[in-house]
Amino acid sequence: MKDRDSIMETGLLKMELKGIPRRTFIKYCAATAVALGLDYYFGGLFAEAATTALNKKPVIWIQGQGCTGCSCSLLSSLNPGPGEVLLDLVSMRFNSTVMNAAGHLSIKALEDTVKEGGYLLVVEGSIPTRDPRYCVVEGLPFDEIVLKASKNADAVIAAGSCAAYGGIPRAGFTGAKGVSEIVSGKPVVNIPGCPLKPDWLAGTLLYYLSFNELPPLDSDNRPLAYFGSHFVHDTCPRASYFERGQFLEDWNNPATVDWCLLKMGCKGPVTYADCNRIWWNDGVSTCIRAGSPCAGCTQPQFYKDLAPLYVSPLPPGREDEAMPVAQRARGIHAGSVALGAGIAAAPFVINKVADLLKKKKEGVSHDGE
Amino acid sequence: MANKIVVDPVTRIEGHLKVEVTVENGVAFDARCIGTMFRGLEQIVLGKDPRDVPYVTERVCGVCAGVHGWASCLAIEEAHGATVPEMGRVLRNLMMGAMWLHDHVLHFYHLAALDYIDPTAVLNYQGSVSELVAVKDKIKALADAGDLYPVLPSYKPDDFCVKDPELVTELVYHYLRALEIQAKGRKASAIFAGKQPHHSSMVVGGVTCYPTLGQVQQFIRIINEVIDFVRNVYIPDALLLATGPLLPLEKASVGATAGHYLSYGGYPLDGSGTNYLFPSGVIFDNDFDHIQPFNPAEIREQVDFSWYKNEPRPGHPSERETVVDLDKKEGYSFVKAPRYQGKPMEVGPLARVLIMKNETFMRLMREYNIKRPGVVMRHAARAVDALAMAAAVTKWANELTQLIGETGVYGSAGNALIHDTDHWEPPFEGAGAGLNEAPRGALGHWIRISGKKVKQYQMVVPTTWNASPQDKQGQRGPIEEALIGAPVPDLDNPLNIVRIIRSFDPCLACAIHIIHPKGKKFVPLYPVF
Repeated sequence: MKDRDSIMETGLLKMELKGIPRRTFIKYCAATAVALGLDYYFGGLFAEAATTALNKKPVIWIQGQGCTGCSCSLLSSLNPGPGEVLLDLVSMRFNSTVMNAAGHLSIKALEDTVKEGGYLLVVEGSIPTRDPRYCVVEGLPFDEIVLKASKNADAVIAAGSCAAYGGIPRAGFTGAKGVSEIVSGKPVVNIPGCPLKPDWLAGTLLYYLSFNELPPLDSDNRPLAYFGSHFVHDTCPRASYFERGQFLEDWNNPATVDWCLLKMGCKGPVTYADCNRIWWNDGVSTCIRAGSPCAGCTQPQFYKDLAPLYVSPLPPGREDEAMPVAQRARGIHAGSVALGAGIAAAPFVINKVADLLKKKKEGVSHDGE
Repeated sequence: MANKIVVDPVTRIEGHLKVEVTVENGVAFDARCIGTMFRGLEQIVLGKDPRDVPYVTERVCGVCAGVHGWASCLAIEEAHGATVPEMGRVLRNLMMGAMWLHDHVLHFYHLAALDYIDPTAVLNYQGSVSELVAVKDKIKALADAGDLYPVLPSYKPDDFCVKDPELVTELVYHYLRALEIQAKGRKASAIFAGKQPHHSSMVVGGVTCYPTLGQVQQFIRIINEVIDFVRNVYIPDALLLATGPLLPLEKASVGATAGHYLSYGGYPLDGSGTNYLFPSGVIFDNDFDHIQPFNPAEIREQVDFSWYKNEPRPGHPSERETVVDLDKKEGYSFVKAPRYQGKPMEVGPLARVLIMKNETFMRLMREYNIKRPGVVMRHAARAVDALAMAAAVTKWANELTQLIGETGVYGSAGNALIHDTDHWEPPFEGAGAGLNEAPRGALGHWIRISGKKVKQYQMVVPTTWNASPQDKQGQRGPIEEALIGAPVPDLDNPLNIVRIIRSFDPCLACAIHIIHPKGKKFVPLYPVF
């Protein structure tokens, strides 16, 4: 143990020499370890791994059919602060939103890093497959860039729902796909979300820096700690209203302001994410806290197969169904059901909602008109 | 001798942009901006429930995040016949106002400032201000580790770049502080918005977030930190640079356009539909004393140099069907050319502060005898624009507190309305226009609903105005026009070119074209926003 401590001490000293504040860093590492479901002891390990590395991990961040929202979301991180992410955590070799260089200089930084190898590749935005002409970046079709840049990467991070599964562009005509449908032979981690929550990315980075491998993933290749272990519904502050069958139907009514949002179209029962456990933007709020239904933005089915977003999945006239279902559901966890591409191991009540959503998609049940 | 220089990619903007500039004797005389990515968002919403559209179109851009959702809501509210209640209006202003402050701070420090300083000057800082010494130590440590990404590499600093170690170190210190501040702008917005980027609580008819007094207090506390930074750091920095080291750049009229400005008006001050923080208006030919009234019916789209089928005459966006013409010889851009009374218009902070006759800004123009504002004044205008918003946000926060006081707090039997629930269901038929001001300028969404579904959707975004191609009369778009005459003494370091482009704060995910890279024949297929 003494050895470990002294190694870490040396590492932190080195980091300080490189201009990295040790206190913030250790604090952040511990918090991340806990968020990842690890004992906070691992925070020390994280710090150790990151600090003993002679150089910061190089990162190449490329953008395809996206909106820069995920880059911006990372810059919205306050713990660690955006400055720490950009300057301390990684060596950001290429990110067209923040890098000083432009034109040939920026391309050279990209090419040099690829040649050097040993970097993490972050992809933001989807990849058009119907025709490469839908996204041409830096003179090359985007799929070629992704393949080229992933060749010497240690691992690939698909940042945001577009890069993970195609996201909103997948609903269009460009044949937009996620990274893992293009890249093979490399470990790929999906960090979906529209946009991604910065903690998910920073935590995954730290985990990788510490263990030199990706964190445990769920069946959709998302970090288990942030996604696979709980539905948005499971940790919903409105869940007890769901169980009582109390549903918000008018945003104006102060008496029902905390009630369940299912009838407003909430996809929380079929969406994996920790949004309700750890809120957004330094913990000030989250969609459901702000009274708006979960859109299911971290799911592979988003957006196409979860639309419409604001329509109740419960058929009119049979709305009472949810209440007894909810009451029966207490303590019951059974089987699994598939919604679209497949959501595994759902509690019974969730199955019911998923089932209704699925039926609605197939046009079996009522569609509002 | 004429030389063509290509900057690809233009970084520190939203989206993918390539620019080609022809330079003769060190001066740019021809320019083309070419965007290279599209997604087809407009097609994605066709046939969908209209209430989904703000959610989807908000994702046009993650930097302007929010304003698209707002413009979309405005268009659909008109189609639904919905009226946003008083508290809904104030909450929208607050959420988007906080984003506005975030946006301008981010643009000035993180997207633009590096074009005007030599960051390595920090290493020569000799002073003893502890914060600045810390900055120097940090940069020195990173430099010694050979890892100054993403601050380096950079274009070679030119004569206009600030190289004074004291000033540069202070600006780099502000750059680092601004990183936190812009994140706090988003944080403040997220209190009511749910999250940022891509808020979730603004929906057709109002907002979904019933605020508590505690949240209002939290908002005020965080936004005050941002406002303090805008007043005491951003404004002094922008104005100091504009009137000091960068004045020669402005005096050379680098980055000036033809001088036509347009604002749709935005941020309603009451429910009247006529009283806005940013008034609408039009200026022609740099005639700042004569603000013309804005008439939405005068907007026409031209496609003579865009890859769309020519139409007999220019049409209004709400009635145009966009038909792609892949083989159009004279086409060079996928951005259409919107014109107002036939003129290419600059939109954005400069247009806004000129049209609102902002006193601070007009005094600046007078005192320094600026007749044709360019790159530097565009940055100054953005700072002044932020200042106007900062004052308004404080006012709206008080207004919200008062509204909550009058109508009862959350949890009690209050009667504040935040949403027009009566008009939540889509109408069978309907049409609407949402004209608004985004941080980057005039933004318009148009919708037609049929059978309760989206039948037609059109957007004309700020960057479509600013980055538009030539029109039939041979008038260039504002960015192209601004590039003409730019000094490019060093072809390998075309600093003035990127300065000019970035001064417009372009957002390319919004306004899209396609390129023909060498060796491959690339043809445009669909229009996309």
